[in-house]
Amino acid sequence: MNPIPMPCVVPVREEGGVPPDDFALMEEVGHDRDGAFEVFVARYQRRLYRLAWGYLRHHEDALDAVQEALVKIYLARASYRPESHPYTWASRILANHCLDVLRRRRVRPAESLEAAQEAAPGRDLAAADPKENPERRGSRAEFRRRVEEAVATLPESQREVFVLRHFEDMTLAEIAAARGCALGTVKSSLHRAAAAVRDRLVRAGVRGDAALS
Amino acid sequence: MTTGDREMTCAEVRERLPLRYYAPPADGRGDPVGRHLRRCPACAEDWAATRRALAAVRAEDAFPRESEVDWDAFARDTAARARAAGRAVVPAAGRFRRWAAPAGLAAAAACLLVFVALRQTVRPSPDRAAFTPAPGMAGMLRQNVARQAAARSLREGRALLVYLMQAPVRCRRGDGTLDIALEKERSRDLLRRLAVHQGSLGGAEDGRIADLLGQMESLLLQVGTLEDCAGPHSLDELRAAIGRRQILLRIDLVTRDVEGGTSRA
Repeated sequence: MNPIPMPCVVPVREEGGVPPDDFALMEEVGHDRDGAFEVFVARYQRRLYRLAWGYLRHHEDALDAVQEALVKIYLARASYRPESHPYTWASRILANHCLDVLRRRRVRPAESLEAAQEAAPGRDLAAADPKENPERRGSRAEFRRRVEEAVATLPESQREVFVLRHFEDMTLAEIAAARGCALGTVKSSLHRAAAAVRDRLVRAGVRGDAALS
Repeated sequence: MTTGDREMTCAEVRERLPLRYYAPPADGRGDPVGRHLRRCPACAEDWAATRRALAAVRAEDAFPRESEVDWDAFARDTAARARAAGRAVVPAAGRFRRWAAPAGLAAAAACLLVFVALRQTVRPSPDRAAFTPAPGMAGMLRQNVARQAAARSLREGRALLVYLMQAPVRCRRGDGTLDIALEKERSRDLLRRLAVHQGSLGGAEDGRIADLLGQMESLLLQVGTLEDCAGPHSLDELRAAIGRRQILLRIDLVTRDVEGGTSRA
């Protein structure tokens, strides 16, 4: 398993603490309890950013989309019904918002990936250690590009399951609950996504241990 | 694994490796894949390659700029924006409700008084009454609102057709087809609205608008029959139909009339 820790640091409220359960938290958000929405944002923002990035492939646009979707979520909090998981509800609002953005932009994701890379071609190299061997720096940049592309080009449902399992470390049962689908569906999406990512990296001759060590 | 007593083949084992990385078996017993991997060096190497590749996929590579964000500040800013938006919506609605009900009642009473007064003073001749049914002030207002709404939908439909006539986005599969999935979705929405307008435009003055709505409906139905990735030829047919009917120009003229409040349709 990937050793990346859970990305969302949830601040703990002094009185009563953070509701451990997403449904309970959403109920508090619905009643506009003090600090509940801040916890909701902190809990979901990075997960939503990754979802938005998958659609838009543009850092600033993804951040804007997350913020605007969270504002919509806050304004629509009274309309939430606990038949669906709060993440499912929030992610649908965000996905619709991203589709609106794409509609306005008139650019499809596969095209915008190239555009984003063209917009910041030296990004990986700029972030690299200047003392690093140039050849090694180049291979790290290439590796990053491959990984980014491997995840970005997954179909939407597979990418979402892959991101939730691989980066968010959610269990398969949690993902099924969050996405409102059957466990078998999650397994099959994850299997396809993982196989696609692996094949892409292996085909490209990427040796993760070498590139990252 | 449901292979009974039969030994699993290498292909069967390799098929199960990606999911095994994320959902390993609880222990070694009853794990035919694990037994196979211990015996088969080729599959064991494949398993090692799978683990290496997937373990190398890190968030900072897949989402390279995520780490640049100060997420605590982002959360604070987002929550503040949401609360500000909430404050902007709720009090405004409250203010509106406070004066809207009495004002609405007063306006309705005034309309009723004018309507009664007109009925008592203006007696239309029987011929004229038969030709154009007197709608009354409320009816005229209703007709005007319906006309404006129909004009809005026509403008939106016009924008959609103009877009389809120009340069739709190419489909990702790269076979020269054009991606009109969003336009199809939009045309379905518009079709629903057009049906409502056609029911609410009853006056003889609305003939031109109703005619354009009918033609727009026919074109939108044609859009709906196209594939999401439409071939250039099918779009050419649509463009030709739009050109033949000169619908864009006619919509432009009618909507200008309605906007100017001088619809002579």
